[in-house]
Amino acid sequence: MADSSVEIIEGCRLPVLRKNQENEDEWPLAEILSVKDIPGRKLYYVHYIDFNKRLDEWVTPDRLDMKKLQFPKKEAKTPTKNGLSGSRPSSPERDVRKSLDLNVQSASAPSRGKTLPTPKRKAESVSLATQVTAATPVPSLPSSTEATQASVYPAMRDSSFSIKSREEHEQLTSLTTNGTTRRLIPAQPGRKRKNCGGTDEMVKVFQNNNPRCSTIYLPPGEDSQDSSDGIPSAPRMTGSLVSDRSHDDIVTRMKNIDCIELGRHRLKPWYFSPYPQELTALPILYLCEFCLKYLKSLKCLQRHLTKCNLRHPPGNEIYRKGTISFFEIDGRKNKTYSQNLCLLAKCFLDHKTLYYDTDPFLFYVMTEYDSKGFHIVGYFSKEKESTEDYNVACILTLPPYQRRGYGKLLIEFSYELSKVEGKTGTPEKPLSDLGLLSYRSYWSQTILEILMNLKSENGERPQITINEISEITSVKKEDVISTLQYLNLINYYKGQYILTLSEDIVEGHERAMQKRHLRIDPKCLHFTPKDWSKRGKW
Amino acid sequence: MSKLSFRARALDAAKPLPIYRNKDLPDLTDCVSINRAVPQMPTGMEKEEESEHHLQRAISAQQVFREKKESMVIPVPEAESNITYYDRLYKGEFRIPKQLIHIQPLGLDNELPDYDMDSEDETLLNRLNRKMELKPVQFETMMDRLEKASTNQLVTLQEAKLLLNEDDYLLKSVYDYWVRKRKNCRGPSLIPQIKQEKRDGSTNNDAYVAFRRRTEKMQTRKNRKNDEVSYEKMLKLRREFSRTMSILEMIKKREKSKRELLHLTLEVFEKRYQIGDFSGEILNEVTVPLAEKTIYPAPISLPMSNRHKAESKIKSHKPVPKHLHPFTVKPEPHFDFVHSHKKYNKRPKLDTFRQPVRPERQQTINKADIKQYDFHSSGEEDYPLSPASEPDEENDPDGIFAFRRKAGCSYHAPLVDQSCTPHWQQTGQDRLWQRNCLTALSVPRRCIAVARGRVGRGGRVVLDRTSSDLDRALRHLDPDMFYPSADSIVPDLPVHTNTNSHNSKSSPQRSLTQLLSDIQACRWKFFRPRPLQENSRGEDKKGTPQVEKGGAAPLSSSVSGGFTEEQFHSHQQQLVQMHKQLQQQELQQNSTAPELHTHVPNAVSSDCMSKTLDSASAHFAASAVVNTPNNENRPQIASVNGVLPNSGSFRQAKLNRSGGGGESGSLVRMTNSSNPQLAVPQSLPHGHGHLSTVSAVSPAHTHHSARLCAPSPSALKLASVASSLDRVPKVTPTSAIDIARENHEPERLALNGLSETTVAMEVT
Repeated sequence: MADSSVEIIEGCRLPVLRKNQENEDEWPLAEILSVKDIPGRKLYYVHYIDFNKRLDEWVTPDRLDMKKLQFPKKEAKTPTKNGLSGSRPSSPERDVRKSLDLNVQSASAPSRGKTLPTPKRKAESVSLATQVTAATPVPSLPSSTEATQASVYPAMRDSSFSIKSREEHEQLTSLTTNGTTRRLIPAQPGRKRKNCGGTDEMVKVFQNNNPRCSTIYLPPGEDSQDSSDGIPSAPRMTGSLVSDRSHDDIVTRMKNIDCIELGRHRLKPWYFSPYPQELTALPILYLCEFCLKYLKSLKCLQRHLTKCNLRHPPGNEIYRKGTISFFEIDGRKNKTYSQNLCLLAKCFLDHKTLYYDTDPFLFYVMTEYDSKGFHIVGYFSKEKESTEDYNVACILTLPPYQRRGYGKLLIEFSYELSKVEGKTGTPEKPLSDLGLLSYRSYWSQTILEILMNLKSENGERPQITINEISEITSVKKEDVISTLQYLNLINYYKGQYILTLSEDIVEGHERAMQKRHLRIDPKCLHFTPKDWSKRGKW
Repeated sequence: MSKLSFRARALDAAKPLPIYRNKDLPDLTDCVSINRAVPQMPTGMEKEEESEHHLQRAISAQQVFREKKESMVIPVPEAESNITYYDRLYKGEFRIPKQLIHIQPLGLDNELPDYDMDSEDETLLNRLNRKMELKPVQFETMMDRLEKASTNQLVTLQEAKLLLNEDDYLLKSVYDYWVRKRKNCRGPSLIPQIKQEKRDGSTNNDAYVAFRRRTEKMQTRKNRKNDEVSYEKMLKLRREFSRTMSILEMIKKREKSKRELLHLTLEVFEKRYQIGDFSGEILNEVTVPLAEKTIYPAPISLPMSNRHKAESKIKSHKPVPKHLHPFTVKPEPHFDFVHSHKKYNKRPKLDTFRQPVRPERQQTINKADIKQYDFHSSGEEDYPLSPASEPDEENDPDGIFAFRRKAGCSYHAPLVDQSCTPHWQQTGQDRLWQRNCLTALSVPRRCIAVARGRVGRGGRVVLDRTSSDLDRALRHLDPDMFYPSADSIVPDLPVHTNTNSHNSKSSPQRSLTQLLSDIQACRWKFFRPRPLQENSRGEDKKGTPQVEKGGAAPLSSSVSGGFTEEQFHSHQQQLVQMHKQLQQQELQQNSTAPELHTHVPNAVSSDCMSKTLDSASAHFAASAVVNTPNNENRPQIASVNGVLPNSGSFRQAKLNRSGGGGESGSLVRMTNSSNPQLAVPQSLPHGHGHLSTVSAVSPAHTHHSARLCAPSPSALKLASVASSLDRVPKVTPTSAIDIARENHEPERLALNGLSETTVAMEVT
């Protein structure tokens, strides 16, 4: 189908064939992120719009529907400058969106109208930002060169923006080369951002002004700029998830490892991971199953295994029941393992950042024992001291073990730790799609378990406060409320709030609980929380 | 749909929520979904991802079916779990321990190389193994070291040799192989490593740089900004405290080694005493290599911590240590008599005698003969610090000779009450001459005009030159004038004599042993001869009583009494005896020829010159004679002196050697300056001057007063003159003491706060 006469460049959008779970052909709209020449043919790295990045892949030209090819939006076309200089800051956005929508509509792919958040907020900052942008000399690229925009971009942005203050940058990030304001559009109503500044006002400002996270699924021209917002600003130092996507460039948007061999498993990484660059070209990256050291070849792995006598994660086992064990690893004391674990985890966690060292984290590695040793199943990391009640930073069940209840077990374990600590906790945000589903599922089951087991005392209707649920489960109050809302349990009845349990909820819960065999047994937990604040430094 | 006809109250987390089953609520339709009344909780996802197709599908599936459906699951890339060679790769079994696994913090590193051999390496290894045996780990270790020693630049072959310590063939082959491989390597290192951040910030945006160090930033709670300030303050405090800690640690360490040194020195000394190494040859032999390195001569230490800076000091010293009076030795009339008179009950042990005349250059003296430790005077409240804690002590050039308090000793302030003696009121020339004398050096042989000598801290001889209008004339004086007889060689130092060196076999005198036992019985720890200066009387070598002054040596507590003449006498005998022994020993030695001799000019009694005494012996002689009008020890002195002309040079040489510096001492000749040629005139016309000069004769004073150190010969002279003048009868020993003290008090003080006129001599 590929028409060789038309050059497909980065940023182009077009329907790409993929098989869905029912093994049916689909032609979702996709964006070309990268093109590479291998002898004989070209390969295209595509991101399916509205699909998770983990499904991004290299495709051959025959899977591209060239007839519906959309080139990246031309910069010249966007009414940016005029619009921006106008007194009505919101209008440019609308204009841009309309034109984008039109573009999208023309494609056969599912309308991406819903992917663009409606511009609920036209913050004052937008106007400010736009004006600033207008004043900024924006390199306008001729359409022909736009294809290379993504790759060219970094240099450009560095030169044009390096002198700007950081705040300016944050405002400008969305407004760069194209001058579109669309990145200011995404209101982030629900987003909980981690604040760097610490005050609520700052958080707010940050949210208003920081449009970064919105870019990924935007139309081509905009996407290519995404890599552009070039202000090298370090992510926040707490936590291990990035909500600051300023470092998103095209490199990190693409998987760089083809395959990882870990023990018995071959894993297909979902996301970028900063393994040494020379290893990324390998067809298979070999990891030692126990120390997680990365090796370039099977021979090296063999040699390594003669020297590595680890048969379990190099930490203290704090839980064992049956074949399931948990090991606690201090990110400061066992840096090598922690880093190796993070590198592996990054392959499957999009928002995880490895920007900073692992010192402030503890790693809880869940293993399954067999005669060969304690095999890693999943893990979660946890800040030694969280200022925001996070009891989990990153959490991952390795793909071979997914959808078998281990994730919920990890979550359950994290809350058991919080119970021992006497705190409520919540996972660090943002959650991934799988993370959200897992947590919701865990919260739902946990809360429903409590609600359904409440017995009415002396004939009165059982009742419970949200705080009580929170205390019992160590689930943070907000998560309790959101779960109750999600399950639609909260109702207003005769002047008061009540919790109503519908039949399908009850049945669904009972069915789910029957399947839930893996549970954490608090009696098997040997854990003494440490007061890290008294240890000086993590 | 029913609408809210009223405003729902906010959801109160603390308020009990009754739980209903739907079936319990027939009027369920009356229920109002309050989702709009309760703030919508965020999902916690990135908004764009929240809208992802598969997620939305899964969520809606969950809400519809209350259960996951296989088809509604979010698809993920596949994973395989069928590695067939797994069991071959991971060999052996691991039995689960009964106890929870507890990792030991130590014992993880067993020095195994990080480098892992690849198949390419294996080829090389197999090839190499045809010629030699090379284990894979060995190979990996080599590669590992090469890798880790290289930064951007590869290690050179030379470095590799040092690094690997393997035989040349193997080294070369591995090295060459490594270089080749390294050059072909795509990555920065053969051991794949995570990219490190660079400090210039250029890697801030590099996606492959990971695990950057965090700048230390406190995680403060919200709304507590000042936490950060106090945190930083605390950090600073902590830093400073830890610095203090380390300083204190170092001080502790230093003091420990100082103590160790002291013990060792003591031990050396005792050992030397036991083997009779009084002259230090044995020590020298043992320490020759060290001695060569010694830059400064080991000075004789004075019992007092006399540390003065003077212009002509040979070694430059650090300025006066804290615990000492910063007196300068210039002939200033006024001294700061700060300290009240205190008597020494005990003196710190002073095991050595000083050289009365010190050569101008480095005069080396046997360390072992030296009391290395100075002591604080406890009366010096100004300097309460114990030397041990002085921070600057490390720089103290005195090193081991630094003053140290001895446990159990009490130290007293210098005697100052009698300080204001008439002669301080003298002015002008008088004073000049009084405190200085015409001085000549033997090497270079010249007259250096008016100066005065004294023994500085550590026994250095310090010449304080004074300018006068006579200088020019004096410079041209023939130095030989000071040496009436060219042959007269003054043996330099009877140094070692007293302290511990009671050579029992060499003390034939009953009186000595008696004295010793007396001393021991009385627990006299120190023998302190007290100088009697007043009636110095020239003593002929032939045995005519020369000196009318004697160093009465009060034992420990008693200042003036306590010590009988007999005891003193016997002690003198003892000293003389030891001296004699020494000389004999020296004579027996084949000593290297010294270039320089110490000449003690005796301007007055030229007949004495044949038996010129070195200052020390002169002291002995003089003090002995003073106290013992009878001739009991005269023969000994005579004999001592008799030896001298022959032995002088040897002794000199030996002393030099033993001092470690190997430098021959130049002679300092001093005559009483009031009369360049003759000591007599001075001594006669100025009683004080005379006395002071004479006082130089006493061992004690030679220690303390600058003047005394050099001029002992002149003292002798004076003594002889005095005797010739028949002044002896006028002065009783005791009065001599008093007078001497009177006269010398100021000087002593000036010379650094000598607290006593006497020299402590350790008898036990």
